[in-house]
Parts: sequence; structure tokens; C-alpha cells
Amino acid sequence: MAAHTGRTGEPDVLDRPIDWERAERSPEFQELVTAKRRFVIPATVFFLAWYLGFILLAGYASDFMGESVYEGLTVGYCLALTQFVMVLVLGLWYMRKADNEFDPLAERAAARALETAEEAERGPARFSTTGETQTGRDVTATTPEDRS
Amino acid sequence: MTILAEINVEAVVIFAIVVSITLGITYWASKRMTGAETFWAAGRSITGAQNGLAISGDYLSAASFLGIAGLIFLYGFDGFLYSVGFLVAFLTVMFLLAERMRNAGKYTIADVLSFRLRERPARTAAAIGTLAVVAFYLIAQMVGAGVLIQALVGIDFSVSVLLTGAFMLCYVIFGGMLATTWVQIVKAVLLMTGIAVMSVFVLERVGFNPIELFNRAEEQKGDGDFTLAPGGLYSNPIDTLSLGLALVLGTAGLPHILMRFFTVPDAKAARKSVVWAMFLIGFFYLLTTFIGFGARAILGPGGVEAAGKGGNLAAPTLAAELGGGEGTFGGDLFLALIAGIAFATILAVVAGLVLSASGAVAHDVWSNVIRKGRDSEHEEVYVARIAAASIGGIAILIAIIGGEGLNVSFMVGLAFAVAASANFPALVMAFFWPRFNTAGAVTGVLFGVISAIFLVVMSPGVWPGPDSEGSPIGWELANPGIVSIPLGFIGCWLGTVLSSERGAERTYHELYVRSETGLGAEKAHAIH
Repeated sequence: MAAHTGRTGEPDVLDRPIDWERAERSPEFQELVTAKRRFVIPATVFFLAWYLGFILLAGYASDFMGESVYEGLTVGYCLALTQFVMVLVLGLWYMRKADNEFDPLAERAAARALETAEEAERGPARFSTTGETQTGRDVTATTPEDRS
Repeated sequence: MTILAEINVEAVVIFAIVVSITLGITYWASKRMTGAETFWAAGRSITGAQNGLAISGDYLSAASFLGIAGLIFLYGFDGFLYSVGFLVAFLTVMFLLAERMRNAGKYTIADVLSFRLRERPARTAAAIGTLAVVAFYLIAQMVGAGVLIQALVGIDFSVSVLLTGAFMLCYVIFGGMLATTWVQIVKAVLLMTGIAVMSVFVLERVGFNPIELFNRAEEQKGDGDFTLAPGGLYSNPIDTLSLGLALVLGTAGLPHILMRFFTVPDAKAARKSVVWAMFLIGFFYLLTTFIGFGARAILGPGGVEAAGKGGNLAAPTLAAELGGGEGTFGGDLFLALIAGIAFATILAVVAGLVLSASGAVAHDVWSNVIRKGRDSEHEEVYVARIAAASIGGIAILIAIIGGEGLNVSFMVGLAFAVAASANFPALVMAFFWPRFNTAGAVTGVLFGVISAIFLVVMSPGVWPGPDSEGSPIGWELANPGIVSIPLGFIGCWLGTVLSSERGAERTYHELYVRSETGLGAEKAHAIH
């Protein structure tokens, strides 16, 4: 698996057998991708619509775009400026959301995925003597995908 | 030759300063070269802010600086459409690819594809896409460099191309990504400063009232195509849409831009670098207003001849005028400064291009397809240097043979069209479509590359002249994107559903989790 990580001679941090499908189904991962989708899909639809709308107006409504707002300042140039504003606002907004919201969720999802590897290594029937891993198993045992 | 007939001493001095700084950087970087990860990814040690500057330096080519200024000067509003499209494109990069590339990739686009797909065909397909984009982009920049240096410094075209190529190869071969990054950072600072100073000079002429600039530009429109309304350059609305699509999606398929995301420590830094790049690139493209419309307002219709073919020399001509006029000390000095900045601009872009092409040849084709991963890292870097020298050599040769006859903006448009039609669909499908498989990737890339090139070759601009009957197949669009981008996606889909290969679905889950969480992403290494 992951042929491209193997050949530099550096140890792959994922030598442990992570169960990717289970990691994907985990509530932590689902929470991450749902949160991201809730922002990224509307934002992408909005910017593509606003941009392509601008391009279509430039193509089909050149008289309107050439109308003067004030002396030599045209409607077209003002709309072009809104594109600059859009890029900066969406860029900063996404960065804030990602730093404050998506990154912590991603960390939790990653930690959860690593747990699937530890469980696979230990095997289902083996007892752990350390309380720490015991707790970890108890937590994971209550997650829905273990029951599925 | 429209501006100067003999060697321009000021320009030579400034070119020499640019070259010494960049060669100094290369020497410094070469001392820190340790292996493949330093060569292609600068040890993943570049910070978000540095990478944002480097992305601007990698992205803002001579086509942006001289080309857009020239297009606005000649056609008005339609030229500014390029500025808008080139900037909005970074939203596509940020939302779809930047962080995912960093999390899942190593050095090249192919790393992401081969993650899910059968390695050899997937890497070969990705290498074809990368090399096609780089070939057109690189030759365009080399021809641009030759034309520019010949006109501004007075050195012969072939010698200019040869010199540019030699410096470019020096940075890449000896300094790898670390040298290339810092050359791009220096260039970005020079370019931003240059365009800001020029804008202030232009604004000073109109009493710092931008609207007065548009008024004066309108007064100076003359008999040409210049207009403050759309339609100066593209009379067919579908052509405008096609261009807009290629610009906004093509950037997300440019190998030398995507490669920059491998140079930062993690996805957070990748994200930060896109936002930095948005601000810097947005600032730059906003100021193309003052250079382009300023050139029209100040030079007027009388400047069209001096601006040369495609208006590429409009910005330097404007600089000479702002400095006090051609032949005065101030005019010559300002012209030389702008020429030096344009030269640095080209050097930084071509170095990034050659580096990404060397990755496709050495890392993808040589190491993983031919040697099947049995070669040493030392061998990989060695092959990368040979590859860089060969690719650079071929580009220099084509640029010299094709000469000034090659149309620079045509070649850059082709590069964006191929990137949007081949690389972009394959990457998007690999990240987002569970069913996507190897046959789909190969078909998609081939559909995209072939249709984009075919439609550009058939476009009316390639068959000009009074005796020509235009395109042999009656094709009317200058920009192929509106047809070739959907064809790239259709190719990905068709190849996938027609083949029986199903194994790639399992790896989808791994790529999905890794690209979203950063698990197992390549680690950063400090460079000492």
C-alpha cells in the first residue's frame, strides 16, 4: 500500500495497519468532513457563480458593462473590483474557519484513526494491562462503527 | 528594437545585479543540498509567508506583467479579464487542492494519482500532463525573455535566450527547490515594488484620481480596439467564457504551482501560503489597472508602435516616459529597472517550471516507472539534474529555432488549457470519486491534452493572414477550454466505467482520510 511512501528509506509513520474504512466511518471524521463541506461547497458555488456571472456579463452584456457609473468608471470595472474583494474575503474567512474549527476536528479524526490501528495490532481478544489503553478501548467500544 | 538600438548600459548593470544576487542564493542553497527531499521540496522547511511570496514569484510570469499591461493598453477592459481570472483561480486552488496536495503528495502530481491507481500507467499519464504544460509554458517564457532582452538591452535574441536558459539551469541544477524558492521570493519583492512605484508615478500624472485615469484613457483611445467596455479583444461571448474557465481551473492544474505546496511543513502552512499569495497576487493584478490604463492614458495611440507586437513593451515604454522620456537619464534608468524586474520575473518562473518537469521525469518516469523504485535517492537526484539540463536544453533550442515568430500569449493560453483539461480533472477525480481508476486517469489526461492542443492548433489565430481561409475545420474559438475541460472530465469518467478494474475503490478511503487529516503526511526537515 502507498507505494510512494516506501522508497526514501525513512520509516513510514503509518507502518501500523490503520483501518481506513473504519476511520472514515468514525463520527470524528464524519464531523470533520461535514463541517468542511458546509463551508466549502456553498463558498465554491458562490465564487464560481459570481465569477462566471461576471464573465458572461462581459461576453453578452458589453453595453451594460461599459455603462458609466461615474465618468470613466464603468459598471464592468466595478464588478471586476468585487471579484478582488470576494477572493480576499473568502480567503480570510476560510483560513479563520480552518484554523479555529477544521484543524481541531482533523486532529481528533486523526487520533481516532490511529486508535483503529492500535486495536488491530492488539487484536480483539487480547487483554491490556495498562489502564490507559484499557480506557482507550472502552471509549472506542462505544462508537457506533464498532457495532456495525 | 523599438526602444533602443544599442546596448543599454544601465540595463546591463541592473541585469548583472539581479544575476549576482540569484547566483549567490544558488551557491548558498547548493551547500545545503542533501537529497531528493531538499532538491524538490526544500526539506519542507519553507514557512507559509515565505511560500506565499514564492507562489507569487512562481505564478506572476512575464505574461502577467508585460502581457496583461499590453493587452489592457491595446484592448482596454478585456485585458483586465485576465487579471481577474488569474486571481480568482486561487480560490479553486485553496478550496480543492492546496491542503490535500500537501497531505497526500510527496514531490509531484503523480504521487497523488499513483496513490490510488496502478503506479506505472498513472505516473506515465501524470508525467505527460506535466510535461505538456511545462513545455508550452517554458517555451513561451523563453521566447518572451529573448524578445524582451533584445528590445530592452540590445543583446541579440538567440544570445538572450541562451543566457536566460543558462541561469535558469544553474539555479535548478545546483540549488534545487531551495534556490528556486528564494529566487522567486526576491523576484516577488522586486516585482511588487516595481509595479507599486510605477503605479504611484502614473497616479501622480492624474492628480491621484483613478477615475481621471479612465477618463484620459478613453480620450486617448484613437482608432484602435481600445475600449473601457468589454469586447475589445474577444467579440464572441463563448470565447470569453472559454478563456474564463481555463484561467480559473487551469491554475489548479499547473505543476509548478502545486509543487510549491510540498515545500511547507504541513497543511496549515499550505493554507496560510495560499492566503498570502492571494493578497500579494491580488495587489499585483489590481495595479495592472494603473499600468495598463496608465499606458493608454499617457502614451496614447502614438505608443502602439513602440509597444510592439501584442503590446508586450507597453509597460517598459511607459516606464521610460514616466522617468522623463526616452534618452533622458531618468527615463533610461526607469526603463532599465523595469527591464531588470521583468528579467528576474522570467528567471523565477522558468526555474520553477524546469524543477517541476525534472520531478516528472526523474521521480515519476525514471525512479518509479523504469527503475520501479529500485534506484537510490542519490541516483534519483542525479537523474533529476540530467533531466533538468535536457528539458532546459530542448526549450532553449525550440525557443531559438521558433524565434520571435512564436506568439507568447498563445503558448501560455495553451499551457493553461492543457492544465485545466488534463491535470485538473485527473486530480479532482482522484480526490473525490471513489470509483475512479487507472484507465480513467489515462483516458482523461489523454483526452484533455489532445483535445486542448488540437483545438488550439485549429484555432483561427494560428491560421491568420489575408490568404488564409481561417481554421481548416471552421473552428472559431481562440480558447479551447469550454470544450477540452469537459472532455477531460468525460475521459476520466468514460475510461473508468468502461474498464473492469475495481481495486482503486479500496484506496479511496485511505486517500480520503489521509488528505483530510494529514495522517502520514511527509514530515518537514530542518535545513542547516
